[in-house]
This record gives sequence, structure tokens and C-alpha cells, in this order.
Amino acid sequence: MKKYVTLKIDGAGIRAPKGSSVLDVAIEYGICIPHLCHVPNLSDIGACRLCIVENIVNGRSKITTSCTLDVQEGMVILSNTERIKKLRRNIAELLVAQAPNSRAIQDVAVRCRVKEVRYPFRNSGCVLCGRCVRVCEEMWQARAIGFVGRGKDRRVDFPFGVRPDFCKKCGSCIDLCPMTITPCDGPMKPGEEYLCGKCESQLSMASGAMEDICVWCELGKGFQCARYGHQ
Amino acid sequence: MPKVKPRVKSVKDLAELRKRLRSSAKNFKSKLTICGGTGCHASRSQDVIDAVKKELKKRKLEKSVRVRVTGCHGFCEQGPLMILEPGNIFYCGLKPEDAGEIIAETILKGEVIERLLYTDPVTSNKVQTEAEIPFYRAQDRQLLAQNRHVDPCSIEDYIAIGGYSALAKTLAEFSPEKVIEEVKISGLRGRGGGGFPTARKWAECRSAPGEEKYVICNADEGDPGAYMDRSILEGNPHLVIEGMMIGAWAIGARQGYVYVRNEYPLAVKHARIAIQQAREYGLLGDDILGGGFSFDMEICRGGGAFVCGESTALMASLEGKVGEPRPKDVHTVTDGLWHKPTTLNNVETWANVSPIISNGAAWFAGKGTRGSKGTKIFALTGRVKNTGLVEVAMGTPLRTIVFDIGGGAINGRAVKAVQTGGPSGGCLPLDRLDLPVDFDALYDAGSMVGSGGIVVMDEKTCMVDVAKYFLAFLQDESCGKCVPCRLGIDRMLEIVTDITEGRGRPEQIDLLKELADTVASASLCGLGKTAPNPVLSTLRYFPEEYEAHINEKRCPAGVCRELIEYEIDAEKCNGCGACRRACPHDAIKGKKKEAHVINSRKCQKCGICLSGCKFDSIIVT
Repeated sequence: MKKYVTLKIDGAGIRAPKGSSVLDVAIEYGICIPHLCHVPNLSDIGACRLCIVENIVNGRSKITTSCTLDVQEGMVILSNTERIKKLRRNIAELLVAQAPNSRAIQDVAVRCRVKEVRYPFRNSGCVLCGRCVRVCEEMWQARAIGFVGRGKDRRVDFPFGVRPDFCKKCGSCIDLCPMTITPCDGPMKPGEEYLCGKCESQLSMASGAMEDICVWCELGKGFQCARYGHQ
Repeated sequence: MPKVKPRVKSVKDLAELRKRLRSSAKNFKSKLTICGGTGCHASRSQDVIDAVKKELKKRKLEKSVRVRVTGCHGFCEQGPLMILEPGNIFYCGLKPEDAGEIIAETILKGEVIERLLYTDPVTSNKVQTEAEIPFYRAQDRQLLAQNRHVDPCSIEDYIAIGGYSALAKTLAEFSPEKVIEEVKISGLRGRGGGGFPTARKWAECRSAPGEEKYVICNADEGDPGAYMDRSILEGNPHLVIEGMMIGAWAIGARQGYVYVRNEYPLAVKHARIAIQQAREYGLLGDDILGGGFSFDMEICRGGGAFVCGESTALMASLEGKVGEPRPKDVHTVTDGLWHKPTTLNNVETWANVSPIISNGAAWFAGKGTRGSKGTKIFALTGRVKNTGLVEVAMGTPLRTIVFDIGGGAINGRAVKAVQTGGPSGGCLPLDRLDLPVDFDALYDAGSMVGSGGIVVMDEKTCMVDVAKYFLAFLQDESCGKCVPCRLGIDRMLEIVTDITEGRGRPEQIDLLKELADTVASASLCGLGKTAPNPVLSTLRYFPEEYEAHINEKRCPAGVCRELIEYEIDAEKCNGCGACRRACPHDAIKGKKKEAHVINSRKCQKCGICLSGCKFDSIIVT
């Protein structure tokens, strides 16, 4: 029999099955917490840090990722405070400066209300969210790709840089990669170091109308929001 | 010593063995204790040891003079060090050639060789014993002092000075709850940096569900300039092992691991020998001392990454995975190594356990401040006269450590700042040096006790450059898993580099602060959470240096290459040509006995000319 716990997310009383994560529960109840590295049915590693929330324990607030936080009886979670919004915006800004041409990253950045990017752009092809590595390992048990190196040198690669036989080219890694989801059609050229603004995400940013509460937004579809995965 | 080692089966056996060892030690007429720690090793102490042994053999004195090679004595600046007994004579700065004279004069005739003694820098008097040296006088050496009585490769030495008696006492008299209670009363806090109450960690681990539990000793010390853990594990490995055994008894663990940094080969070797010896005596294994307690341990060599010192990364590395941290929403005391309850403590924390049990919690709690008890070992390095290991009671002012023990800055310069707590600690200015070394006081000042590194900086240090150095270190060592740490530190370094190279803009200071806040609040593990400290503390205490770099494109300390020029003072220069010959870039021209000139276009600002000039005629502007 499923056991249930009750908790509060942004003031709303919620009954949730024991063992589920705060992020999953929040999305289920229509509280959209932006996220990038979380994919339904894959393990959570808390790498992108976009889904951070404030967990109030004994009156003290602790900032932690909601995807790795399991629900507990009497928990109080705040997902949308000014502090969290600011931190989330800064993280998204770092991400979008790293990969300004990814439509998915742009969409996430817009959800986190990034309006300007204060860092020089880098046109990186990978933001190391690890979706591809986890789907290969956990869904297909192939481990054909993995992380290599550390810090700045960290990258996703085949073992010893050679595609192994057990990689069946299933393409799951590509399916889940935020860099390949509807790539931007205006790739950044030297000298054009600004968000190109061609995506619809940029249009909604211009209008300034963005709900804090998830409305099954089209943006979420763009970066394969966990909510769309549940359908 | 008998060839087959007797198994110590009970507390009585241990006491008898100790008695026997002590009486056999009396056979030696005199004792020579030579430091074989890493610092002295680097100053050729092995050659001194070999020369002394050869000399003793030549004079057939091996039977009556005991040579004991020990771990670090702390005063690494003056190494190699030697202490002679009887007389407690302290010799320093030894050379292999001195061996013959020491044996002939001091050992045989009992005369003190004046030139090998330490000279008090203030009074210029020769000092005969350790206790009279200012470096040692202001210290309270509880753990380090044991190093000189113990040959790290000899369990007999350790037992002779009372080793494993705390374990015997624990097994005979204390219940696990009583041990935890005792540690709680002592007020011991984790020495690895976090300062978490040790007893609370143990209690949580004890009450965590599960039969199988583990204890781990974190000896993956990676801070630049710090070597406290190394010196304890190298010099007195049994102290750590005994502490871990008492901890294992308290939490109910049967297996322990020592995770040692791979770059510490001597520590690995000594710890390995120590475990082997303890097993031979039956002090590790089944039914230890007849108390029904079984425990064994293993050594694991580190993965070679700074982040492997973080508890979850360390456990991942121990399990054979990549040493990357994972979220700690469930604490490692309930879900640690192989998802079993695990207690992980630092070397120094474990080393403090057995003295607490043998001397009582009140003894330990009697030292230190209200929130931080006991003593703490610091590695004093940087531009300070007496570099070395320092052990003081918690609450000692930083000023005492830097000036009384450290002797102040070298070359007669002024101390400008002190960096405590390793790469993720903070820089404190001179007027904050009256702060006591106490977990809470240093944290409130924007720094931390950390694992115990203290780096002294003088007026020739540029604080922006310091921030850049530590950021570059942390960026190199970040595992790269989470976004704030990987990209945030990278961007901070980018901004600070801009500032040091003259491209800084005033608004970047605010961006730097905002970025620092994001990295500190949102990172996955302790590395990222503390990474902005060097930047934040230098911004807090030395804002004028950042402003000079940004607004005036000037480096006040004359360090940042892009912002400085080398010139020759024509009045002071007498045309000796030393700088011209030293310059590898051919940038200095001038005739003999005429003032020289530096060609600023050719000059690479390497500073080699500075060390060549004896007349202070080269100026950095």
C-alpha cells in the first residue's frame, strides 16, 4: 500500500506519496519549477541547480535542489521567493551565456526571467546536463557514453574517444539533448554576440507576461519539461 | 624484542607488555631523536640519519645509543632537527658532516655543541632546549608533542608511551553511549573544516538503522601549504587508528577505512605498517582485548582530486566510482558508503579521541573558547619567518600565531594580510588579527578555521592577484558537475583576470558580488559553497586595491604584470651590470659604471633583474 505524507509547497497543502521528489510533486500540482537536467524516469543528480527551492527546517531556510529532495511529513517548501528567483536567474544567465544558440536553454532562461546576459558569450555545444549519459546508462544499460575529465575539461565522450560496439546508435541521447531540441536557426557568428531574438521565447520575454504558476506553457514543451513527459 | 609478536589478548596483557617495553628501553644510555618528517626530509635529514648510524656503528655504540627517526616536530624552517637525551638538547639545521662531532662531543662527553643550537632571534642567545625556543613556547602541543616520542613504524614505541590504553579503558569501562556522552562533554568539533559537533555525528550514526556501519578517516588533505593531517598520519599513525577504533566501538562499526591522499606516500606507508603491526598484536581483528569487539581497517589511496576530500565524493571514490559529490539531502550518517550508515572524520579529529578518553572530557573542554574546545594544529606558511606546524589552544589570537610563533614577516617587511582556512578561506587584514582562532569568530569575519592552513602575506602581495590565484586553483579542482560551481567560478576568474590585466570596469564589482552569492548559495557541495570566500573577503577588506586596479589601472603592490613598469633609478644605479647580465629578455642596456636603462617594450616584467640588483635601484611602478 502506498504511504502518503502531507507537506506544504508555496503555502499549498499537498498530499504526496512517500518516496517521490519535491520537484515531481510540485509539477504534478501545477507549480512549475524550472529545471534542465531532470528527466522523468531517470535518476536525479542535481547538476543544473535550476530547480532549487527553500526548504524550511526548524525556522531556518536551506537552499537545495527539489529534484533530489524527497518529500517528508510536515515539510515546508518555498519555490518562488525573491531569493530563489534571483539565484535561479543568475544560474540561467550563466547557462545561456555558455550556449546562447540553444533554443531549449533560451527557453529555460526566459522562464527564469533572464533579460540580459552580462558575460561574454561562448558558443559551447554542450552544457553538461548529463541527460544523454543517464539515459544511455539507465534506460538502455549501455554506458556507451560518459563524462570525461573534470572542471573546465569535463565533457561527454565515448570510452577512450571511440564509439564502442555496444552503442546501437539508438539516438536516445540525441533525443534528450537540450542542444538538439529545435536548434536556433540563427547561429551566432563572431561579432553577433547577443541573443538572436528569433525564437518565440524572446517574444514572450518582450511582452513581459510570464506566469509564476505553470500553465502548460509552450516553452516547457520546447525543453521537454517533465510535465510534458508525464502525458 | 621477541621475533614472534605476542598477541595481546586482554587489558592485562597490554599492561604487562607496556611494562616490559618500558624496562627494555632503559637499556639505552642515551637517545637520539631525529626528525624524519617530510619537511626535514626535504632538508636532507635522511643523510643525517645515515651519517649518525654509520658513526655509531664505527664506534660500536649501536647497543647503547638508540636512534629514533620520528615524524614531524613542527619547526620545519630549521630542519633537520635532532633532540638528544639525556639533557633534552635541541640541535637544528644539521648537516651529515656534524654526525661525528655530535657523537664524539655530546653523546660521549656530554658537551653541548654551541653552533648547532638554535639562536633566539630577539636576544641573539643560544638556546639549549625546545621549551626555550619562542616558536615552541607559545604553543600548546597536545598531539604534535607525541610525535617526538614515537617512531611511526614501531607500535612498541606507541604502546610504551601509553598507547591503546584509551581503547582498553573504553572496552572495559565505557558503553558506546558513554563514549558518545564523553565526546559530547569534551565539546570536540570536526577538525576538517566544517566544525560539526563530533558527538552529534556519532550519535546520529549510532541510531541510524542498519547492522553494517563504517568509519572513515579523511586524510585527503589538498589545501595548498597545509600538512597537518600528513604530519599526524606520518608521525603517529597509531593515534589515528586508536581514535577510529574507539569511534567504531561507539557507533557500532566493524570496518574502517583510511582514505589517504596518493601524493602522501610516506603517510600511506606508515599507516599501512601501523595497521599491519596492530593486526599482529591482535589489536585489530576479532575480539579485541577480549572485550568482544571486532574491528578491522584498510587503507585506500586517494583519487588525486581536491574535491575527493568532500565526504560524498570521498565515499564515491572509495566505492571505486568517479570522485564526484552527490546531493546530501540525506546525510551520510544514515546513507553513506555503500548506502550504509557511515561516520567520516578528519585525521585530526580521530587523533583527538584517545586523549579525550584517557585524560577525560573535562581536560579537553578546559582548553579553548566557549564554542570551540581543545587545541588545533595550523600549518603556518607564506612570507613568515618561522614556517612550520603550530598547535595552539583554540581561541589563541591570530596575532600570537603570526608574530610570536611565526616571528612576523620575512625580510623586515610588514604583514599585510593573513589567509586562513585554505583556498576556500578568507583573507583577514592586519587589524583583524586580534580575532581568536575559533570556528564561529573566524566564520563571522568572513573567513574560517578550515582544515588549518595559515598563509601570511606581506606588503608585496596584491590581494586581487591572491583572489585570482585561489579562484584558478578552485576552478582547476572543481569536478564540474554542477552549473554554479563550474561556470560560476570560471566567470569569476574571468572577471578577476580582467581586473588584474587592466580591463576591469567598475560595474564588474557588483557582478562579482552577485556571482559570488549565487555560487555560494546554489552549489552542490562544499567546494562550490565556499569557493567565493577568497573573492568576498578581499573585496570586503581590501576594496581600495580593486578600485586602484579598475579606476587607475594601477597595481599598488606592484604584482600584476599588465599594470606595472620596471624602471631603473639613475641616481642609485652605479652601472655594475648585474641586472643586464641577469635579464633573459635582453631588455636592459647601459655602459659600465653608467646608469642602465630598461627598454619597456622588450621588458617581460619577470622580475629577475630585481633579485640581481644589490643597490635597490630597480623600481616597480
